[in-house]
Amino acid sequence: MEVLAHLLEGFRVAGAPTNLLIALVGAFLGTTIGMLPGLGPINGVAILMPIAYAMKLPPESALILLAAVYAGCEFGGRISSILINVPGDAGAVMTTLDGHPMAVKGLAGPALSLSALASFVGSVVATVGIVAFAPLLANWALAFGPAEYFALMVLALSCLGGLVGDSLVKALIACLLGLILSCVGIDANSGVYRYTFDLLHLSDGIPFIVVVIGLFAVSELMLMLQSHHARVAPVEMKGRMLFNLQEFMLAKWTILRSSVVGFFIGVLPGAGASIASAMTYAMERRMAGKDHCFGDGDPRGLAAPEAANNASAYGSFIPMLTLGVPGSGTTAVMIGALTLYNITPGPMLFQEQPAIVWGLIASLFIASVMLVVMNISFIKVFIKFLEIPTWLLVPGVAAISMIGVYAIHGTTFDLVLGTLLGGFGYLLRVMNFPMAPFILGFVLGDMMEQNLRRALSISNGEPGILFASPISIGLWIASIALLFGPRLFKALEKTR
Amino acid sequence: MSEKLFGVFLLLLSVAGVIIGWDLKAPISYEPVGPNAFPVLMFALLGICAAILVVTRRPATDWAPGGALLRIGGLFLVVLAYALTFDKIGFVLATLAMAIPLARLFGASWKQAVLGGSGLGVVLFVLFDKLLDVALPTGQWLKPWLG
Repeated sequence: MEVLAHLLEGFRVAGAPTNLLIALVGAFLGTTIGMLPGLGPINGVAILMPIAYAMKLPPESALILLAAVYAGCEFGGRISSILINVPGDAGAVMTTLDGHPMAVKGLAGPALSLSALASFVGSVVATVGIVAFAPLLANWALAFGPAEYFALMVLALSCLGGLVGDSLVKALIACLLGLILSCVGIDANSGVYRYTFDLLHLSDGIPFIVVVIGLFAVSELMLMLQSHHARVAPVEMKGRMLFNLQEFMLAKWTILRSSVVGFFIGVLPGAGASIASAMTYAMERRMAGKDHCFGDGDPRGLAAPEAANNASAYGSFIPMLTLGVPGSGTTAVMIGALTLYNITPGPMLFQEQPAIVWGLIASLFIASVMLVVMNISFIKVFIKFLEIPTWLLVPGVAAISMIGVYAIHGTTFDLVLGTLLGGFGYLLRVMNFPMAPFILGFVLGDMMEQNLRRALSISNGEPGILFASPISIGLWIASIALLFGPRLFKALEKTR
Repeated sequence: MSEKLFGVFLLLLSVAGVIIGWDLKAPISYEPVGPNAFPVLMFALLGICAAILVVTRRPATDWAPGGALLRIGGLFLVVLAYALTFDKIGFVLATLAMAIPLARLFGASWKQAVLGGSGLGVVLFVLFDKLLDVALPTGQWLKPWLG
């Protein structure tokens, strides 16, 4: 009952006229950003976060904006997957397999509306999941001391490191680079200047926005030029726009199953929308037996990844809100947004900032409804945005990114640093270093160090405290399993 | 090969990081773990990972073909110049100067590039500075006219 009261309070926050407007703008921008190939949720959130801060939005409104953008991206990615066979973002890769063939068969309208419905169901199932599980997890985590916290952050980093990228050592390097960058600046405990090289601008540390814009905007533009080729004309929309009862009946259980599976995958730190959509697609294909046309325009093959990517995106809010440990690259950026407002993410968030937490959860419900309405009735408006030429989009993104960085301190130094980090990020990305561990390392670095030092202060320097409680031992074992497990598993499968 | 070279670079970086970090000591210490432990540990781990990168067999990196790489480098330099001039010559002019070469790199005609660039500069300035209350630099050169 207490949960329902909180949720009601959340709806009061999210239902305030300005926040409703902000959610609407976010949902619209998110769909557009998600749809444009090359830009995904992490870029969208990265570019808009500094703008929200510069506009002096209160923290709950800023988070509502970013959450609506994130949700919108998961909706929008499908549009270009279906119409031009190019995934709009990473979570929509699997959607091309059956979505585009449907469009080619003249079923573009039904494909778009059915996938919008699947996305909506995925969102609602996952939001209900957040309401059900998040408070429990937050309560459990209240018992964590600094040693447990340190182990938890190691777990989050190894979860991401074990799952993404083509090699473990590269994921680790990316993560360490992030952790190292987070050390720059005055050490809060002792006042010692670390790695500032006598540069005044570095004494407060490298601003989060500078790192994010460099890694996810500047380097993204360089990658866009690398993969730039003439845009394919979208498949023309003709015939009926809405799916029929037969298509719905065929896909309904697929949608529900994929939503639930996607949600749980999203809750795991590190396993994001792309893994969720790939897994549910494979699962549904296997379950369909012989009677299917997967890969050739089967509505189930379209519905499964779309339900799953939304559900997993929403699910990744759980570790972020309850533990302060982001479940995906995008939520890592959102954690950074919280720290801009001097809000410490973690289990205390539910008690200290109920308006923010529950406002965010309620706004996920509201944004989902807005998104499904927009994505079914105004789909033709969005398709118009596919015609934005890349030559206009790229300078636009560059300008908006710089506006965001300039808004924090108004110094040329930050702009130049962000650009240089972007160039470095481009090199890393071309060499297949994953960026999510990098940003997660940067976000968690300070908290990790503080908790480590606090734990060792308690034990008077005795490192045994890190492995003293059953919770921390469990977390360490899980970290090792997650770090080496997936790759060991793959290697074993190969030898068989 | 690129990855191995990068590994060597990271190895040097980690050695430098450890050396610089070693001397980061608090004048008066209240805690058993000082400010140098965490960064030194991270740089040391980075060194180990970099060494693995150097000694193991690495897949070849897919660099963009020469011409494309040159254009990507060009894009980087344009953005860098944008960052350097943003504050000094003002948002509108800097954006125009950035947008023209970028639009050209992505296949726009000269006319499209100039029109798009000026449109972008003016529209974004009005949107952010005037409507959304995010202050943007006007540049010193506009001062005499704006008062």
